[in-house]
Amino acid sequence: MSEAQPILRLDEATIKFGGLTAVNKVSFELNRGDIFGLIGPNGAGKTTCFNLITGVYKPTSGEIYFQGQPIGGLAPNKIATRGICRTFQNIRLFSALSSVENVMIGAHLRHKVPLVGALMLSAKSVAETSALREHAMHLLELVNLADYANHRSADMSYGKQRRLEIARALATDPELILLDEPAAGMNPQEKEELLYTVRRIRDELNKTVLVIEHDMRFVMGLCERIVVLDHGEEIAQGPPDAIRNNPKVIEAYLGEPA
Amino acid sequence: MTGISNSFWPVRLASVVGVVALCFALDRVVLAAAPAQYRLLILASLFVILAVSLNLINGITGQFSIGHAAFAMIGAYTAGTLSKNPTFANMPPAQLLAVMTLIGALTAATFGFIVGLPSLRLRGDYLAIVTLGFGEIIRIVTNATESLGGSYGMPVAPKVQLLWWSLLMMAVCIALCRNLLKTTHGLTFLAVREDEVAGLAMGVNVTMTKVVAFVIGAAFAGAAGAILAHTEAFISPRTFPMEMSFIILTMVVLGGTGSITGSALAAVVLFAIPEYLRTLTDAQGKAYEMNAGLFMGVLIGIMIAVAASKWIQTNVHEKGKKLGFYAGAWLAVIPLGFLFQTILHLSPTLKQLSFGIDILRYAVFAVVLIALMLLRPQGIFGHHEIGWHWFRKRPAGATEGGAA
Ligand SMILES: Nc1ncnc2c1ncn2[C@@H]1O[C@H](COP(=O)(O)OP(=O)(O)OP(=O)(O)O)[C@@H](O)[C@H]1O
Ligand SMILES: [Mg+2]
Repeated sequence: MSEAQPILRLDEATIKFGGLTAVNKVSFELNRGDIFGLIGPNGAGKTTCFNLITGVYKPTSGEIYFQGQPIGGLAPNKIATRGICRTFQNIRLFSALSSVENVMIGAHLRHKVPLVGALMLSAKSVAETSALREHAMHLLELVNLADYANHRSADMSYGKQRRLEIARALATDPELILLDEPAAGMNPQEKEELLYTVRRIRDELNKTVLVIEHDMRFVMGLCERIVVLDHGEEIAQGPPDAIRNNPKVIEAYLGEPA
Repeated sequence: MTGISNSFWPVRLASVVGVVALCFALDRVVLAAAPAQYRLLILASLFVILAVSLNLINGITGQFSIGHAAFAMIGAYTAGTLSKNPTFANMPPAQLLAVMTLIGALTAATFGFIVGLPSLRLRGDYLAIVTLGFGEIIRIVTNATESLGGSYGMPVAPKVQLLWWSLLMMAVCIALCRNLLKTTHGLTFLAVREDEVAGLAMGVNVTMTKVVAFVIGAAFAGAAGAILAHTEAFISPRTFPMEMSFIILTMVVLGGTGSITGSALAAVVLFAIPEYLRTLTDAQGKAYEMNAGLFMGVLIGIMIAVAASKWIQTNVHEKGKKLGFYAGAWLAVIPLGFLFQTILHLSPTLKQLSFGIDILRYAVFAVVLIALMLLRPQGIFGHHEIGWHWFRKRPAGATEGGAA
């Protein structure tokens, strides 16, 4: 596979819900190692884009390519196995389970011991489980949650839950990680730390990042390239400076400082 | 405890040998000390198997299935039919029972797979309705099939009552579920229960996980059914009424959805209570009866206490005060019971009416379930396991960590 090939390519991806076209012929490309922003006013179709990429919905028309392969309409778990993982805007943790268990479930995707081994509690499955637990602990450290490993995830603060979702997604060892409003509900200090964490995910773990975020300062400070949606349509694409001064974008946000 | 320690295999071997020896020893002890309870203990262990295996489906994987007795029925009728075959009829009893248990389990597992596959696309209530319907279909079809003895039922030969075998199967069932929960595989089952969408996004094969839970759960129910057939030497559709499914479900809900030890304990208790009530007789050997008015009065009193407790749970926060309020609410059941009895007895029909004590258990189960749903929806033991760690100091946390 050539380095020049984009890791993710949306080719006129479209989805209609009844009469509503939530995402209309959206096309953009992510290169390996990008931190790419996806922005737009409420209801623009950003989360729906994520749902298309991760297989929650099948595109009505158009195609999505991941590492050169079409993935539109594949089952979500198949897409996760290929190497795309995400966080959710309306946090979806495994609430009754502890932080470390949440992350271990993500890590499970890369495990090898078959179910029968687990039922027999084979030596291998025991060893693997503790290895996964250790791996999960490392990821919790990365998002500063090591001290909360055994806390019930539902009992943690909003900001911690968002960080836990990132750790859980990273545990699947994806090539591409999608973050849906990771900074929502965070205080300025937490946002600062998050900025740093996302950069580390790209620089140290070599992941490609696609992020939806409403906080403009955050997006502009983090992303190298941005695509803007409005009413399901792609209205602009480019580096932060060009986006900030784009009249269409300013109009879409109508007064909101872009 | 990381990695494989040198003691892994010796410890494993010792624990397996230990469990087998314990089953045998218990068998001998019961035979010597309380032969009258031998059969009852077999039945109790079968109910533990049924409850723990349903817990895998309902509690651990979160699939609301309420037709579990049907899988036991399939296992029982498979064993009952096949053991007539000369190939099996000449086997020594223990071997026959083992083979029938296995075949019963496999047959039930096949049905579990067939029912599971299409219905697992359904969620919550819909799945409950499908499994309930499946259970009824199996029962009604059997009822109408002459070759299976129809509504009369069929004798099963030979009669084989082996407590050690049912205990061993119980141990296997509990061990498998416990092992599962100790590994990451088990976590994926819990992930399906907690959030399917998030599970899928993490790469969990949700459909497969559900089918596996259904197949394993059905297999153990089938095994229990096969053992039941040979223990009782007679099976009929009435051996597996719809109530049986509900009682197993009650055991799971009461014990704590997701808690293996909890559902096992609840199974023993809920099996023992009606059996005990049945032995209660007055001096003339007649079963005790309870006045319907008083019974209903007490039930109404309890419902009021439950409602009050629910209110206390949310509105009173100071600990001492809370306890006092609870005590008051539940003590009030006694005067309330008599008060409502007096009112109900205004109707002469109710005044005359009384029920045998063992029949009333269904009403008691229902009330316990409703109370539990309101006050402690996660069951008495919640998601926790009963074990030695209860007696040790441990850090706060929802996990049961480490490896055996
Ligand atoms: N499953 C669905 N069925 C019908 N309409 C849907 C569905 N999912 C999304 N929509 C609609 O598609 C549009 C885009 O929604 P989406 O959640 O993608 O917006 P968003 O850009 O993420 O907005 P926000 O910033 O508020 O999260 C909305 O009008 C929404 O109501
Ligand atoms: Mg959104």
